[in-house]
Amino acid sequence: MMAMNNCARFIILTLSAMWLNVFFVSAGFATTSNFPLENIKFTQDQASLQRGAKIYYDVCRLCHSLKYIKYKVLQEIGFTKEQVDLLRGDIPISASLSKTSSDKMLNSQYGQVPPDLSLMAKARKHGPQYIYTLLTTYSEKEGVYENAVFPGIKMPDALNVANAIDESLKQEIKSKAKDVTEFLLWSSDPRAAVRKTIGTYVVIYFLILSVMLYFIMKRVWSRLDKEK
Amino acid sequence: MSKLMSWVDARFPLSKFIKEDLTDYPTPRNLSYWWNFGFLAGFVLVLQIISGIFLAMHYKADASLAFDSVEHIMREVNYGWLIRYVHSTGASAFFAVIFIHMARTLYYGSYRAPRELMWWTGQGLLLLLMATAFMGYLLPWGQMSYWGAQVITNLFRATPFIGDEVVVWLRGGFSIGDATLTRFFALHYLFPFLIVAVVLIHLVALHSVKSSNPSGINLAEKDNIPFHPYFTAKDFYGLGVFLIIFCYFVFFMPQFFIEADNNIPANPLKTPTHIVPEWYFLPFYAILRSIPDLLGGVIAMGLSVMIFAAMPFLDRSSIPGGARYRPFYRVLFYVFVIDVIVLGYVGAKPPTGVLVVVGQVSTFIYFGLFALLPFLSIKEDKWLRKRGLPAEVDVLIKSESEEIEKKAKKNT
Repeated sequence: MMAMNNCARFIILTLSAMWLNVFFVSAGFATTSNFPLENIKFTQDQASLQRGAKIYYDVCRLCHSLKYIKYKVLQEIGFTKEQVDLLRGDIPISASLSKTSSDKMLNSQYGQVPPDLSLMAKARKHGPQYIYTLLTTYSEKEGVYENAVFPGIKMPDALNVANAIDESLKQEIKSKAKDVTEFLLWSSDPRAAVRKTIGTYVVIYFLILSVMLYFIMKRVWSRLDKEK
Repeated sequence: MSKLMSWVDARFPLSKFIKEDLTDYPTPRNLSYWWNFGFLAGFVLVLQIISGIFLAMHYKADASLAFDSVEHIMREVNYGWLIRYVHSTGASAFFAVIFIHMARTLYYGSYRAPRELMWWTGQGLLLLLMATAFMGYLLPWGQMSYWGAQVITNLFRATPFIGDEVVVWLRGGFSIGDATLTRFFALHYLFPFLIVAVVLIHLVALHSVKSSNPSGINLAEKDNIPFHPYFTAKDFYGLGVFLIIFCYFVFFMPQFFIEADNNIPANPLKTPTHIVPEWYFLPFYAILRSIPDLLGGVIAMGLSVMIFAAMPFLDRSSIPGGARYRPFYRVLFYVFVIDVIVLGYVGAKPPTGVLVVVGQVSTFIYFGLFALLPFLSIKEDKWLRKRGLPAEVDVLIKSESEEIEKKAKKNT
């Protein structure tokens, strides 16, 4: 009983030591704007990822590259070889998704080259929520666009949120924003699904192993009591 | 087989080593789970070296390629994400385990005679570990890697007379650049092997003085049990529990210990809004910032890490068992732990408003506790001796020393 107690204490202390870090690490971030991010959950289902990929391809790709995603990798979210071939045209299948506008043109229009989006969902705190909220909080005042999450943003209102008055249109834009965010979340970590599947088995394995090791330890140590 | 063994044993004390230092190595039977962490630290060291070597096979130490090569490992190398996340999580796990290992030593007073050299080699290991972790953090070449290294190397500007030259010499240029990256990579690969060497010295010292134990009293032979199978069983159980927690972070929260800013490639022209070191440096970083003067801050930070080495001199008490039997020292210990946590919190936040004062007060308490220890431990020693030690301790000391004496007489 005493040993069980000790072992529980050991686990609790180790866990709390690790969790304290969480607290510190998350405490370390200063956000540029205090606008509350919309707390939506992302499911990474294939239909949504594919819709998001198409939105990226039709809208975002004009200015933003996705340099760590190659055409062939798109098959991992359920596109068939034919669909990918249709998308890429005569671009090689092992090429990365690049933007369609030139840096020079973008520079003259926006004063800077828009960032690559491959890692955007990891490069901001609460990345996916950040991207989603940013895309959906554009507003217009006398022809001047503003964004609630990123005041002074150079990026135009890509999904036309600011002018959407109709409620059903607003909902449609929001679901578009969610889809494209799902796709960017996948792009930032295409191995996440595999990682979690393997991880489940690994953690279960070590759980069972630890229970067994605990009983082995008990059995070995019981020899000492017999000696007495 | 036995023929081969005797051939080897005639030339190298292999059997003797296995018997005396592995299987039959006498270990106090009353060790608690807190004594698992040295073994765990050794395990994490091996894990870091192995994962690190595999990373080095794919990583490119070049300012224009480093960031891309890490993403290449994450996306294209087979199980590269696993190797990389084991290594990045392993760094945090290493410090977590080492901090607990140190806290155990402080709590139970294990640094006292005859284990001073264990404590001091441990102090050397802590410094090596910190240097290795700091240099390794530059290698992904993200924004926080770059600016963290910029801020920390800049501290050497405080060197009297030749400060600016020292900074340029360390960086291999006027700011962090390709030259810094390549030298940090070379040293980051070298230092773990120095750590292995010092760990061996640490272990030789351990096997000479043997493990301390929660009672703090040298135990007679009857209370020491062979390392194998008792402590191999116990250490492996501890390892299993450790691996559950470790793998949970590796597979489900791998970005947890990685700043979001470090997923942005290093940009020398754009300073992040808030530069934060890794969590394990935060308390020391808070001490650095609490002193308004650069040189003073650097000295205070250095002292805050090195002051542990003075513990065998500062603690004047002869009561065994550390905080277990010493009520005042126990209070000191817990105040210290809380103080370090507060410092960590202050170090993670921007230095504004009331946090500046909290940081300064905590820094004062940090050093104050060490300063108080010599006087307090003498007073406490006298008070405890006058009042009498708890009955269980008295009985234990008596019975163990009688046992040891008996044994000594038998031998003469």
